[in-house]
Amino acid sequence: MMNAFWGIIIFASLLFGLIAGQKGELITALITGANDAVILVFNLAGAYMVWMGLMEVANDMGVVKKLSNAVQPLLKKLFPKSKSAVAPITLNLAANFFGLGSAATPFGIKAMQELQKYNPHPAIATTEMCMFIALNASALELLPTTVLSMRAAAASNNVYIVVVPTFIASIAAFATAVLCCKFFESLEKRKGNC
Amino acid sequence: MEVIIPILLLVMFIAAAYKKTSVYDSFVRGAKNALPVLVSILPYLAAMLAAINIFRASGALQGFIDLSSPVMESIGIPKELTPLVVLRPFSGSAAIALLDDIFKTCGPDSYQGVLASVMLGSTETIFYTVALYFGSIGIKKTRYSIPTALISGIAGIAASIIAVKLMYD
Repeated sequence: MMNAFWGIIIFASLLFGLIAGQKGELITALITGANDAVILVFNLAGAYMVWMGLMEVANDMGVVKKLSNAVQPLLKKLFPKSKSAVAPITLNLAANFFGLGSAATPFGIKAMQELQKYNPHPAIATTEMCMFIALNASALELLPTTVLSMRAAAASNNVYIVVVPTFIASIAAFATAVLCCKFFESLEKRKGNC
Repeated sequence: MEVIIPILLLVMFIAAAYKKTSVYDSFVRGAKNALPVLVSILPYLAAMLAAINIFRASGALQGFIDLSSPVMESIGIPKELTPLVVLRPFSGSAAIALLDDIFKTCGPDSYQGVLASVMLGSTETIFYTVALYFGSIGIKKTRYSIPTALISGIAGIAASIIAVKLMYD
């Protein structure tokens, strides 16, 4: 899927650029994009080390295990198999919910690493990974903090008018993600049985 | 709300002192584990950002926006918002820049400004998330993840339009 997407985007860009008379700019654009990735990773590095470090402290104290046991009943329906992934999944969803973006990604990657431990085919996504990705593709947020601060900066007369519709739309996206995941899962199962 | 995390950390460190946990060693070990992750996600991010950048720089993005704009308008998305809808799944920073543009041209309290705010707040950078999370552990076959993410993104956009319309009526 990713191969098709990526290939089509690069192909369309090259075709479009060449017709429009671009030459070296096309290569420069690719390299600039890759440079952005390097800068992004450097910017992420500090937050990653801090959150992964703090999580390790919590882990060594047994806090993570207690958290897992506490939320297990809640998340058992969505993630029935992968016990040790429950804690980072919870932390990831909580960080998203409270608008702590810098912590959400490291916890999310930690969750994927834990889910991978239960994966019999390391190159193929498990059903639980698909569910976790779906939850993150529609991450529920209590307050859209970035949008609100941008509205305030743009001198809006009613900064908070967007809060309720945003929450409603987020819940719709979140519910769709979960239902869609379950639907595709049952579809694949049926195909596998035939 | 911002005070919650520091307080939780304070409680954790008091408990750590009580339990005699070697906090420094634990922190360093955790931070060290973060480094290989950063290295492993870099090629995936590079592929993603290179593709987005050439898509914009070549003018293909603008072509796509011009093409899809009439379709989007027919389902209730104003033409000022088309670039935001198209770019949102790929890049969070691009989406933020576009939202700022919409605030400048239409105003934050216009229909366009409010709808764009709601759309940005209720959707995610799905391709970035998929590339990053699956890339970090080397998954090649993503199964139905991308269709699911796209459908939920479309649902978020549709729900945004309905919710904002209801609020204005």
